[in-house]
Amino acid sequence: MSSPTTHVVEPPAKPRPSAVTERDIARAGATRRRRDSRVKIWVGTIAVLVVIAPVALARVLPLPSPDATNLAGRRLPPLTDGHLFGTDQLGRDLLARVLYGGQVSLVIGVLAVLVSGLIGLVLGALAGYRGGWIDTVVSRLLEAQLSLPLLMMLLLVVALFGPSIPVITFVIAIAQWPEIARLTRSLTLVEREKPYIAAAHVLGLGQTGILVRHIVPNIVKQVSLVVLLLLAQAVLLESALSYLGAGPQRPFATWGRIISDGQDYVTTSWWLVTLPGLVIAVLVVGVNLLGDGLRDRAGGPKTGLLKLFSLRRKGK
Amino acid sequence: MADQVLATMPAPQTSPTATTARRGKLGVLLGPMPRYILRRLGQSLFTVFLTLTTVFVLIRMAPGDPAYSLAGPLATTEDLARIRTDMGLDESVFVQYFKYLQGLLHLDLGTSYSFQAPAFDVVLSRLPYTITLATAAILLTTVVSIPLGVWMARHADTRRELVANAVTIAGQSMPDFWTGLMLITVFAVLIPVLPPAGFTTWSSLILPTVTIAVLQVALISRMVRREMVGAFLSPYITVGRSRGVSERELIWRYSMRNSAIPVLTALGTRFASMLNGVVVVEVVFAWPGVGSLVVRALETRDYPLIQATVLVTAVLAILVQLLVDLCYPLLDPRVRLGKGRGK
Repeated sequence: MSSPTTHVVEPPAKPRPSAVTERDIARAGATRRRRDSRVKIWVGTIAVLVVIAPVALARVLPLPSPDATNLAGRRLPPLTDGHLFGTDQLGRDLLARVLYGGQVSLVIGVLAVLVSGLIGLVLGALAGYRGGWIDTVVSRLLEAQLSLPLLMMLLLVVALFGPSIPVITFVIAIAQWPEIARLTRSLTLVEREKPYIAAAHVLGLGQTGILVRHIVPNIVKQVSLVVLLLLAQAVLLESALSYLGAGPQRPFATWGRIISDGQDYVTTSWWLVTLPGLVIAVLVVGVNLLGDGLRDRAGGPKTGLLKLFSLRRKGK
Repeated sequence: MADQVLATMPAPQTSPTATTARRGKLGVLLGPMPRYILRRLGQSLFTVFLTLTTVFVLIRMAPGDPAYSLAGPLATTEDLARIRTDMGLDESVFVQYFKYLQGLLHLDLGTSYSFQAPAFDVVLSRLPYTITLATAAILLTTVVSIPLGVWMARHADTRRELVANAVTIAGQSMPDFWTGLMLITVFAVLIPVLPPAGFTTWSSLILPTVTIAVLQVALISRMVRREMVGAFLSPYITVGRSRGVSERELIWRYSMRNSAIPVLTALGTRFASMLNGVVVVEVVFAWPGVGSLVVRALETRDYPLIQATVLVTAVLAILVQLLVDLCYPLLDPRVRLGKGRGK
């Protein structure tokens, strides 16, 4: 008996060129999206750091006190006498005022996003999971808030209760919770129907347990992607309130207030309005880019596929 | 052609008898459309009521005495007592609330402290300015953002779109009061071609309109882009293209019609929120509208005026949203209001 002969086909010395060239891959939409999101994340991070690092280090940097007035050196243009941003109408160093004011703005922004995130997550998850009257009440509140004259109400609250940091934080959180609540609710509605929830139910886990230990941990990542975009909005809203005179005065005037103080001199001293506004814009652009990029990378293609999938299933 | 393509889409039909039975007598009498309007009006009334009650409660909860801030620091105790009686502040909260609602029904919102005129009339006299500004802004937004959004969708994920993307992100990141002040600096101070503030000639309208539109264009064009990209992926576009429909017609007649509803909703919501939300821009440009009025009313604690402003703008915003909803069937015949289906 002769052993069966096996023919080993040698791989070709030179692999056949694929029909898809590298150029095609580079031109494909998905590649471009991934590259764009990387660019967005990098540029965003740099823009955010350019603003946040000096703000955080304001106490360490060699800056004059933001309250030290110098009537001899009023409205000095930028880059004179060691004042990088110039001085304001009372001779205070503008850069120091912007950085110290930025600390207050950022603290308010971050706190407001945390509070609104917490309210939105709890109410949204409850409404989505329990349904019934809780869902009705929450949904009605969300709808009503859409058609309310929101900014007027916020100004009213600040005017009545005083422009302290807790009041302003609370006011911004109230303006923002619907965003998170709506998202959480819709995610919970999807999550609720998954088999593992039924399994947990059969195993005897209570409703609160399921909500806290299974649903919330599974949706919190997707919800947190919106947080950066909300932070950008919070910073803008805070600056608008403070521009209208409804911002905190102590310990330091925030960005909007600095701009509204400077706008009387807009004809002679351009930097009093331009530079603080530029700082806000750079920060918010950075946060927006970062949020956008992260969302594109995590959620973009996936939601596209899901959409296609659900369309096909509907067609059947 | 478009109709043929649309007709190929399966449309689930509900049997007419089943819906009639569910709707009840009133529904049969009125038909779905008026019934829908009635229900929406009911919801709107509830929202207005909620708003006004919130304002009432907030004002009563606040620390500080309105009589005191009205009379000033030099007032005697008798003065304060007289003002309290005049304003009804010495009665119980429930009586005050009842009288407040009663006044609302007669459109009597009290007398503005600072203007010494009926608060309702003061707000109405300012309203045309705000409506003019909001209308101009929404027109500019629509004219710019829809072509821009379509362009971005056609060039989705290319380098050219990245530039447009960066511009829209910058547009939505600039604080609007700062944009306004920058525009004033450039077009009224450096190159004095436009009036910086107030309302003197129609050219005063340009700067505030552009200021509002910068933010709105950024938001709406991104949304148009998203909708159009979604529409481009739909099977009916492939069908249309394989039948030789021109690219231009595919975009404007096919995709646009299907993206119209979300875009219109967004524009309507923006317009509604402008009617009560252009406060900041009005203050920057000293525009004599409702927004600058409410800031002044808040500074002087002019409660009747605040309540009147909130009422008028809330009602207006809700009416605009209702109108937008009623436009849906005109844009998309698949939508039938009050039937609970469609898009």
